[in-house]
Parts: sequence; structure tokens; C-alpha cells
Amino acid sequence: MYIYIYDIYVSEKKYESTIARIETRITDLGLNGKIIRLSVMSSLFETIKNELKKGAKTITVVGNDSILNQAITVIAKLLPANGAFKNVPLGFIPVGKKNNSLANFLGLELEENACDALSARRIKYINLGIANNNHFLTHATIPTTGTILEIDKTYTIEISEPGEIGIVNLLKDEALDNNSGAKNQKGILELSIKTKTAKKYLPLIKEYGERSVFSFKNLTVINKKLPITLDNSLEIPSPINISLAEEKLNIIVGKNHQF
Amino acid sequence: MFNKETENINIKEAETVIGPSIKVKGNFHGQGNIIIEGQVEGSIKTNAFLLIGNKSIITASVEAKNAKVGGIITGNIKIDEYLEIGPSANIKGDIEVKSISINKGAIINGRIVMGAEKSAEK
Repeated sequence: MYIYIYDIYVSEKKYESTIARIETRITDLGLNGKIIRLSVMSSLFETIKNELKKGAKTITVVGNDSILNQAITVIAKLLPANGAFKNVPLGFIPVGKKNNSLANFLGLELEENACDALSARRIKYINLGIANNNHFLTHATIPTTGTILEIDKTYTIEISEPGEIGIVNLLKDEALDNNSGAKNQKGILELSIKTKTAKKYLPLIKEYGERSVFSFKNLTVINKKLPITLDNSLEIPSPINISLAEEKLNIIVGKNHQF
Repeated sequence: MFNKETENINIKEAETVIGPSIKVKGNFHGQGNIIIEGQVEGSIKTNAFLLIGNKSIITASVEAKNAKVGGIITGNIKIDEYLEIGPSANIKGDIEVKSISINKGAIINGRIVMGAEKSAEK
């Protein structure tokens, strides 16, 4: 059975017509299934766990980056208990433009237009990053200010300029022409540090701005004041240990996915 | 400055890029090409190409297959094949290499052991 789990905010009145269009499209495509509307009292973990036990064929979350990130962590945590769960792909219907940046990486259009990707059922079996106990799909970010990095317990990195640190699992970086997807297949994640100044000292990469890149298997991030943000949605405090998760996930993507 | 060929080295081909605002402390060992424009303390090792930029400050032992270096380097350098030393380079340490090119203006305080001499010593 197809399971559709609606985030709390999509029950707001302003999304009424959007949800109606999504449900019509789902019906037209013959993808009807059970709809579960989350409330403040609901547990996404228990909801997904129960539906997987009942034999769900596809779990689709309807909402934004936040519920997608949560669903990924929930399914990844349930996988060790039952290996058969890995055969259940995770689908995503992004609703609203706010906080919905991951849809683009997955090649999904917004709202009812994402339903076509569910129908096409293009499934990618992908690696996940893990930061402490929380999984992430694409990337994690933290400001450079006050941040100390230790890679594979062999060297540390200090950054003297303000900027942003990105830990990349699946994220195409046009400037570097990197292939993080290929890297993470080897058990490696990528650390990208962007700073705002000192560009003039780096003629070799002038056209891309000031940027540093490292590859790692294990990274420790310490920042006494600022949290790290996973998948643009979940903030967790340091110290944070980041690596590639043992669990992999089947996820439904659009044809224009960026990894 | 490095020659034009060096300046055209593409960041896309580098596995690791250490920018000018970055300071690395410890044993930094990689498999792919490395570009350094910042500071490193400890050791640097790669099986591929190493580029140390003009503004870099390196206090480390350096090992690579091929390298082009500038900046201030304090530590021994061991290159398997070819080493190009740029005019801005200021090296305090011994160099062990198969073949070498030294640009006018470079400062080297240390022994240079070339491939042939190394074989003769053995």
C-alpha cells in the first residue's frame, strides 16, 4: 500500500487547494493510498514504524525539508531491525516554496507536479551522512567562526576568516565540478570551506572565490556557540561526529536529480 | 610567480585545496592532487601532484610524486619524480628528488640529493 504522511503545516487552510490538487493527481495516476495527517501529538517514528510493519509498499512524506530529513533518519534507524524495510522506497512531495531546497536536488517539482516522479518510480539507492544520531541526505553546514575541525583524528583545521563550512554527502558543486555521489560510494564525504576574503591571495581559484576542499571518513566538529544544520532543516549542537552512515536508503527521485 | 602552465592548473583536478585562510596541523596524507595556499604544520604526503603556492607557509616534511613549490617551506622535501621550485620559494631543508628545476630568485638552504647520487650512495 502507498502511504502518504502529511506534515503538520500542510493542514493549514492556505494549503487546502494545493493538497486537493495533489490528491486529485495521485488518484489520476492510480497511486491512491492511506493518508496520515501528523499532529503535534503524533510521532513520525511510530507512524513510519507501524506502516512498515503492516507492509507499506511506499512511504511518501508530504511537506518540506524538515519532514524529509526526519523521515530519512527514522527509516535509517529502523533498517537494522528489519532488512526488508530497505525495499520500501521513500517518496517526497514538497509543499510550499519555503524550506524546500532538497526537492531541487532530488529533481522533484513542487506539489502536484512531484506526483509524476512517484508514478515514474525512478529509485536511487543512496548513501546517507550521519551526524551523531541524525542522518542527512545532502549536506550539513556551520559557520567558520569559532569552529574547530578534526579530520580522521590525524589533523586539525583552523580557519582565520569568516565564512561557511559545508559537509557534503550529495550536493553538486558546479564551481568544483565535484562528484560527491561518486566519493560517497567510496565511503568518503567532502568538506568544503568557503570564506569571504583573501581571494586576492589565491590566483589559482580566483574564478571560484575562496574555497578549500578536503575529503574525509570521520570528522569532528566543535563549536561552543553555534549548532550545525543538517539538510537545511535540523540544528544539532556540538560536539558532532560526522561520517558516512552504514545504512543506505531507497529514495524516489525525478529525472533531473543532481547527484 | 609560477609559470603559465602552473597557473593554469585546474582546481577541479585537485582532491584537496587548502586556501589562504586555512591552517592545517597534523599529518596530512592524501591520494590525489593537492593545492596548498595556506599554512601547514606537521607532514604532507601524496601519491600524486602537489602544488605549494607563493603565499604558503609550510612547516612540515613534504612527500609527493611530482611538485611545484613556492612560499616558505621549513622541512625536508622528498619528491619521487619531478620538482619545480618557483622564484618565490624559500626552502630550509634537504631535498631528495629524481629531477629538478630551480627558478631564479629561489632560496634553498639545505642539501639536494638527485636520483643518480641517491643510487650511488646505495
